[in-house]
Amino acid sequence: MADLRIEHLNKRYGVTTVLNDINLNIEDGEFVVLVGPSGCGKSTLLRMIAGLDGASGGDIHIAGKLVNTLAPAERGIAMVFQSYALYPHMNVRKNMTFGLKFTGVRPAERERRVTEAARMLRLEELLERYPRDLSGGQRQRVAIGRAIVREPAVFLFDEPLSNLDAALRVSTRVEIANLHRLLKSTIVYVTHDQVEAMTLADRIVVMNRGCIEQVGRPLDLYYAPANLFVAGFIGSPAMNFFEARVKSVEGGRACVAGPGFRSLDLPAGHLKIGDALTVGIRPEHLAQGEDGPLAVEGVVELVERLGESSFAYLRRDDGRLFVAEIRGRQTPPPGERVTLTAAARDVHVFDASGLRIATPNDV
Amino acid sequence: MPESVSNITAQMPRAKLAGLLLFFLGPAVAIYTLFSIYPLVATMALSTYTSDPSGGRHFVGLANFETLLGDALWSKPFWNAFSNNLIFFAVHMCVQNPIGIALAGLLSLPGLRLKGLYRTVMFLPTMLSVVIVGFSWNLILSPLWGVAAGALKAVGLGSLFAPWLGLESSALVTLALISVWQFVGIPMMLIYAALLNIPEELIDAARVDGLGHFRIFLHIKLPLVLPTISLVSVLTFVANFNAFDLIYSVKGALAGPNFATDILGTFFYRTFFGNQLQLGNPTMGSAVATVMFFIILVGLCLYLFLVQRRIRRYAF
Ligand SMILES: Nc1ncnc2c1ncn2[C@@H]1O[C@H](COP(=O)(O)OP(=O)(O)O)[C@@H](O)[C@H]1O
Ligand SMILES: [Mg+2]
Repeated sequence: MADLRIEHLNKRYGVTTVLNDINLNIEDGEFVVLVGPSGCGKSTLLRMIAGLDGASGGDIHIAGKLVNTLAPAERGIAMVFQSYALYPHMNVRKNMTFGLKFTGVRPAERERRVTEAARMLRLEELLERYPRDLSGGQRQRVAIGRAIVREPAVFLFDEPLSNLDAALRVSTRVEIANLHRLLKSTIVYVTHDQVEAMTLADRIVVMNRGCIEQVGRPLDLYYAPANLFVAGFIGSPAMNFFEARVKSVEGGRACVAGPGFRSLDLPAGHLKIGDALTVGIRPEHLAQGEDGPLAVEGVVELVERLGESSFAYLRRDDGRLFVAEIRGRQTPPPGERVTLTAAARDVHVFDASGLRIATPNDV
Repeated sequence: MPESVSNITAQMPRAKLAGLLLFFLGPAVAIYTLFSIYPLVATMALSTYTSDPSGGRHFVGLANFETLLGDALWSKPFWNAFSNNLIFFAVHMCVQNPIGIALAGLLSLPGLRLKGLYRTVMFLPTMLSVVIVGFSWNLILSPLWGVAAGALKAVGLGSLFAPWLGLESSALVTLALISVWQFVGIPMMLIYAALLNIPEELIDAARVDGLGHFRIFLHIKLPLVLPTISLVSVLTFVANFNAFDLIYSVKGALAGPNFATDILGTFFYRTFFGNQLQLGNPTMGSAVATVMFFIILVGLCLYLFLVQRRIRRYAF
């Protein structure tokens, strides 16, 4: 078990910068999820932690030790790959013990670790089978088992669930969470799936285009996204954004209004009259009614019924679509004009550069 | 779910199905029959005849084979050619294929620069005409005007030089090595292609497991390209037992010195077409060709039943 410290890490391929000045501290035993759209550099960062790719600049410390020049096996890490990467010509037992042979673990100890991991992952029956005779979920468990027997200080997972079907993904997710509780080891977990990120993480690192956008606990990201990117990325369906302008500044309060919705009161801060803003409201925070600090009008275009709730797609007068979640059985019929409102604490405001502006409920 | 092909064909009218088969299989069957099956059958048929001095031919059953394997006049050169052929094949298996595998392994190393250049350079001799290769090596190794003696002397190894192509003891192995030099690019390319098929993540997993490049090659890559290696061995076997051109272009049909480089191909050539004082004997030549065919057939069967079945192909 160990902490992980990343300082000013850079990665360039030729002229393209894939990672730009990454700084991150991960505490001992923490479960950190790297999340971001495809191609944002999550895998690259993980591979650099693993030592599979070299850095163009910056340092990585694992358990207080600078590991920049160490080979992957010397870093005290274990990695679980998206494709599982099991050795096809070895059975499950061999897959798990193979690496231990080369790191000088004695046969008896190897056997003990495999038995232990197999028990933990319910692999006892499968130890003599070959990867080709395993289902996707079983292969995934073997891949995790192969990581466990290394008894690493840090586990690295690269999208380990993305090749599984939906049901298996949920159950394996729970297993990984349990495993973390049991092993108490540091985990860095890459995914592009925000549900995985929200459910598994102690802390989430949201990445975009090779930069870290925000680091925080799952609910912090949900309730107080630091910028437009995080606001749009966390939450499903995505947050609705409305353009707005500062209409008046008076007595420390700014009045904000824009096409399609009525007025909103903010602490003025540095705002000046005419400043462009973006107002964000999550679909699940919009409710029918008119009395909130803000009200948005739209014509229902389409309703998706999910059972416990429905998503209504509404078109505003300026032609833009937005989404509202409607609880219960009653959904407005398409074509109906509705007014929706949200509580002040559920309204997010971002300035012209996309950064969050404190709203009345923010401390 | 899409309907399976067998379902579709089962419901088809017979005439239509026949037309379909003829359309897709016809050309291949016709060409294969014309250029492979017919010559083979004709050769086998010819090997059961003998020609008399007047030019007539009559059926003699398996008498030609009895002569070939029983009459010392025939059987001695035949077995000489056969064992030379085995040595020729063994040199390829022990030198060409291991070097081909090693080169492929080196080419597949991550971060190797000028990969394309190495690959092309090592594959280049394969595209040269055997006649040119034979002629060049003849010149290079010539004790009179070859550069080999001088080159060895220049590095202080002059005493090692011998007229290798001219010595009974070394001519065959030298020729085999020339052939290895020319064709090592083929196993290299085939195995390199197979190595490229191994997913990157598998290699990464092995690196995380603490293996260096050499061990990754030995424990991961090599077992996974075993099917290709065995394929290469079969191709080598067939090519070696059909070899003829290199020996002919370097040593002529007599495969000197004193038949030391005579292999089945050259033996067949002399028998069928004749050479110098030896008259051509097409019926006897056909018998030699038929025996060659069966040697290769037996070799392939041994391979198919003993080796191929135990080799597993891995889907990644
Ligand atoms: N070997 C490479 N050469 C050039 N660009 C690369 C290389 N590997 C990755 N990249 C680029 O780095 C970016 C990040 O890739 P990656 O870390 O795999 O993204 P993610 O895992 O977040 O989807 C991508 O835009 C990709 O094109
Ligand atoms: Mg990735």
